[in-house]
Amino acid sequence: MLNKTTLFSLLALSLSGCVGLNTVSMTQVPAERENKISTSSSSWNFIGINFSNQFVDVAIDKLKEQCPSGKIEGVYTKHQTTGYLLVFKREVIVSAYCNEV
Amino acid sequence: MPIKMKSMFGLSLLLIGGCSQLHHVHVSDIDQSRGRLTPFTVKVNELGFDAAQTVQIGADVAKSASTSEDLEFIAFILAISNFGPTTGNPVYNDNYAEQILVEVVKACPSRKITGLTSIREATNIGPVSGEVVRINGYCIN
Repeated sequence: MLNKTTLFSLLALSLSGCVGLNTVSMTQVPAERENKISTSSSSWNFIGINFSNQFVDVAIDKLKEQCPSGKIEGVYTKHQTTGYLLVFKREVIVSAYCNEV
Repeated sequence: MPIKMKSMFGLSLLLIGGCSQLHHVHVSDIDQSRGRLTPFTVKVNELGFDAAQTVQIGADVAKSASTSEDLEFIAFILAISNFGPTTGNPVYNDNYAEQILVEVVKACPSRKITGLTSIREATNIGPVSGEVVRINGYCIN
């Protein structure tokens, strides 16, 4: 029974991640705020070993696709890391307003 | 564990530890309404060095116990003298990021710039690292 409890606790521990907020930034917020767009991209790693940070560029490309001919303003960028058991998820979450000119 | 096995394990960890770290990301406004955008990337980097970790590796591979103890003490002194909030490894040139504005202007001769993304990242190989500031952006043509 003790083993089952230990295993269940370990499983629960590995499924519930602890989030660490790395950085937050924001640009000037426009008066027109009707068309909100958002995107995110992430990268998983084992014990913190990563070989690239290209997932950041993916988020920006996805943001641009949502506003192909307008101005993307009021950009809110959040960079966070979620830690599971030995596995980590690095994530960039971006939201902004798309204003057509 | 015999000392050779320990050293080999440490070395292999050192080799696979050549990894990227992302410290900071800032995405700015992107104006796609004034013409075609051409992407550019500008990067500056500086050698980062963790002296305490280097001495600790020396202590781990030292043959005699007394040398190992001495090196561990030095590593401890170095570690506490660099204690505090840091972003990446220490560098020995605190002006290395200042050229980045000149480089951004050079990268975009039209001078119309939008969508600047500032990224502070590092590539670590054991106690040595490349401390990088990268700016991605778009020239409006």
